[in-house]
Amino acid sequence: MPGIKAFGALAALLVHVPSVACPGLGLQDGWIRDAPPGAMMTAGYARLRNDGKQLLRVDGAASVDYGSVELHRTVVEQGLSRMQHGQPLVLAPGASAALDPGGWHLMLMRPTRELKPGDVVTVSLSCAGASSAFPFTVRAATE
Amino acid sequence: MNRTPSIALVAAAALAAGIGAALLLRGPGPALALQSGTMLAAPRVVAPFSMVDQNASPFTQDSLKGHWTLLFAGFTHCPDVCPTTLATLRAVGDKLGAKAPALVFLSVDPARDTPGVLRRYVEFFGSGITGLSGSAESLDALCTSLGLAYVKVPGASEAEYTMDHSSALVLIDPQGRVAGYFTPPHKVDTLAADLSRVVES
Repeated sequence: MPGIKAFGALAALLVHVPSVACPGLGLQDGWIRDAPPGAMMTAGYARLRNDGKQLLRVDGAASVDYGSVELHRTVVEQGLSRMQHGQPLVLAPGASAALDPGGWHLMLMRPTRELKPGDVVTVSLSCAGASSAFPFTVRAATE
Repeated sequence: MNRTPSIALVAAAALAAGIGAALLLRGPGPALALQSGTMLAAPRVVAPFSMVDQNASPFTQDSLKGHWTLLFAGFTHCPDVCPTTLATLRAVGDKLGAKAPALVFLSVDPARDTPGVLRRYVEFFGSGITGLSGSAESLDALCTSLGLAYVKVPGASEAEYTMDHSSALVLIDPQGRVAGYFTPPHKVDTLAADLSRVVES
């Protein structure tokens, strides 16, 4: 039954794809700004590091606690604050990058549960089909 | 749709001209040198306007008189810059105490930012921040007067559009005139130091 075998192998492959971690991707100080009641979006910040031996392209993000998560970058051009998205964040081996207010950030849209300061949200970052999950702590908006 | 970018360009040009004029005209005149912004050599009158605050009460050019005001234009569907800036403004206000200017958040997205939405939003950042909204025409008139620009940017769906908006903070004097601009990065300590000198001058 080569067909079934092939299907089984394919299914195993599909099931296992999400469990492949982004090789060497590390994340510290993940935090999410607490959002006003009813707000449809907020931002997440962290420090990323590539401790692996190959270049990483962080090209997506997801969390069960939000309808959608995107990697964005705020830029100021000719006096206007604007959002760039669709570009991967590229980390060379040994490189680190900060997701900070006013720069690179995760845009977290449509929360699926009520979150308050101190809650921990798991966000998965994807790199070319692989994916690593990291904790982000909700922090008060004004500190 | 064609209208907004052209208004925005006019407003951007006005802002550039204002800052340019301030830079050219500064010198032995009375304009204070700021660490994080520019005082206009000649304050500019804000033309009469009609907006509402987060309680749906009228807010006009007269509401700006009798005290200093620090105004930031943004929108509530803004994940990064607007909450960051509002938290900064709140911290500046707390630091300056009685000397703090009135803090105003001007929505450039009146379609989504109704007074009720703005009330929940500004109150979340602490008491004392006023959230302004108004008709598209009133908003455009006020932005032109203040030298602020905004552009609606379509998103993945009709509802998910975003807004580009001026990153500068507008300083308005107790006569209700544009007195200067603060440019990013907006830092609590620098802004508080600059504002303290402005208020005392």
